[in-house]
Amino acid sequence: MIAFAIAGLTFTSCKKEEEETPTATASVGSVSINLEHKWEDEATNFTLNAEYIHPVTNDTLNFTTMKYYISNLKLKKSDGTWWTHPESYFLVDLENESSTKLMMSNVPVGTYTELSYTFGVDSTRNVSGAQTGALSIANNMFWSWNSGYIFLKAEGTSVNSSTGSYSFHLGGFTGTNSILSTKNVVFLSNSTDVVVTGNHESEIHMITFPDKLWNTSGSVSNTNTIHMPGAMAKMMANDFSNGIVFEHVHN
Amino acid sequence: MKLFRSMRLFFSFILVLLLFSCKKDNEIVPVDNFAFRKPSYFPEPHYTFQNNALTRSRFNLGRDLFYDTILSLDNSISCASCHSQTHGFSDHNVAFSAGVNGTLGVRNSPALANLAWYPSFMWDGGVNNIETFSVAPITNPLEMHETIFQVVGKLNANAAYRSKFKAAYDVDSITDQKMLQALGQYMAMLISDDSKYDKYRKGTYTFTADENEGYSLFQSKCASCHTEPLFTDFSFRNNGLDAVFADLGRGLITQEAADNGKFRVPSLRNIQITYPYMHDGRFFTLSQVLDHYSTGIQSSSTLDQSLTSGIPLTADEKLKIIAFLKTLTDYTFMANPDLSEPVH
Ligand code: HEC
Ligand code: HEC
Repeated sequence: MIAFAIAGLTFTSCKKEEEETPTATASVGSVSINLEHKWEDEATNFTLNAEYIHPVTNDTLNFTTMKYYISNLKLKKSDGTWWTHPESYFLVDLENESSTKLMMSNVPVGTYTELSYTFGVDSTRNVSGAQTGALSIANNMFWSWNSGYIFLKAEGTSVNSSTGSYSFHLGGFTGTNSILSTKNVVFLSNSTDVVVTGNHESEIHMITFPDKLWNTSGSVSNTNTIHMPGAMAKMMANDFSNGIVFEHVHN
Repeated sequence: MKLFRSMRLFFSFILVLLLFSCKKDNEIVPVDNFAFRKPSYFPEPHYTFQNNALTRSRFNLGRDLFYDTILSLDNSISCASCHSQTHGFSDHNVAFSAGVNGTLGVRNSPALANLAWYPSFMWDGGVNNIETFSVAPITNPLEMHETIFQVVGKLNANAAYRSKFKAAYDVDSITDQKMLQALGQYMAMLISDDSKYDKYRKGTYTFTADENEGYSLFQSKCASCHTEPLFTDFSFRNNGLDAVFADLGRGLITQEAADNGKFRVPSLRNIQITYPYMHDGRFFTLSQVLDHYSTGIQSSSTLDQSLTSGIPLTADEKLKIIAFLKTLTDYTFMANPDLSEPVH
């Protein structure tokens, strides 16, 4: 009495996905965000495996890891509407120079006045199951026991730390411990609008200062490890993300 | 006959052969529509196989992985080492499980059943998705002690797995995403709905007098937390085990003192088989558990309001509640060949 199998033969046809018709004048171009990393001021380049003195705490810090997520890039058109970059997740990893350039392709031609981006990974992707690409768990930026992405990892050695090293894993996407923040950059504030013409890359230049992490939180002699969401992670993440500055646009 | 019957009870097969004139990028067209079956008296499941459509080959792949020691550092243990089908997918009646090198964990390995309905996982609810779940045991140094990067490397080096992933997900290279999704499919299909209790709900079994009285007692004294038909309301509560907490439980996740000593209300399905009990496996028998509720409640600031004066129970009432709890044992589930270790 087993309704074992119902074998049906279904013929389904589906339409080929609409192919873009090539036109004489390209309708899309590309825009990149170029992140430079500096220490304390714009004159000092920041790299891994080099010693820096912290301007506030005077700690001597030598980084072995510096990586963080930027996501959900959007560009505001001159008519006030927003263009949303699809699948917009970037893991900036100082071990990998090319990751400091966040590329958006297929941006419709036009003039853009503003950029919006999120520091971290939006809460939806923190609860939506196994992801791929920048969000792959193999990137080691995921907490397994308290599900969620680690938005920023800063690790290294310091004579000021009681253990000789430091390890800050900052994250948290819900409630009071959320460190997610969305930022807007108005291009005219400091430069010119982004003008996307076909077959061309417009560049947005920004600067990240890793030293900002300790501006309020203080010396690694007090705290050298954070591996979960909480008040101090929030303080460090806020100082860091608020410290990312817009430089200029290069069309 | 028994084998076929249990297979039929667990899955309804509908084989549909679909011929498509074109294929969407990456998305494999399932050739067998192998179905998820929601028992009529269960609520809507939490996991809906979104972006991970259920197919027979994906489920089979997840089952292969669940039973494979390749997921552990030294190829010594599999998920099934601590989640044995014959034990309701809990460990073999030990309080704490041995990980690689025999290191013992710190919490009792829970029984696994009806996980597709779970909004969160672990005694403290720290994990929020059945797909990302497996990262925790694979990378926990007290369990499989591996890295996801390494596991993916080992799988890619294995020709049999490469062809299984190709067949299941149409990928040439195995990714952590597909591995986790396949494991998620197997876990979501661990459906226990053929116990005496379920047969009673379906109208095919009549409770004995003791079971029936036990059921009424259970409904008035336990079901506020162990809510039917999953036997948990998935809330986090302190059921009075300790006055001082060795394990902060939910408080570890939320960082709130008000959550210290709280644990997710566990399901009681297959409870007869899955001893020892509680997050640390402190009780070996159901009568110890009932003695705890009637006379052993420890007071603390986070103790559940409803338990401040315990749950008064006579010796006779305890026996009847235990008789009812035993109706939650699902032998069909624990013997279902579709969930068993594959024979290669
Ligand atoms: C060394 C023993 C061990 C191994 C190996 C192991 N587990 Fe577990 N499992 C546990 C323990 C202990 C817990 C409870 C942990 C906690 O709550 O902190 C658990 C919890 C779970 C849960 C959560 C159940 C619930 O009620 O929330 C699931 C699901 C699970 N394991 C699946 C797996 C899978 C899949 C694998 C293989 C990838 C696996 N386990 C490997 C011991 C193990
Ligand atoms: C206030 C909510 C609440 C009530 C009422 C309650 N329980 Fe529980 N129960 C829990 C919680 C929470 C746990 C897990 C505690 C832990 O391990 O720290 C638990 C654990 C259990 C366990 C162990 C399960 C396992 O897998 O280890 C059993 C058995 C159990 N309860 C039976 C009962 C019975 C029978 C009653 C009624 C007499 C009852 N409970 C009433 C909240 C409750």
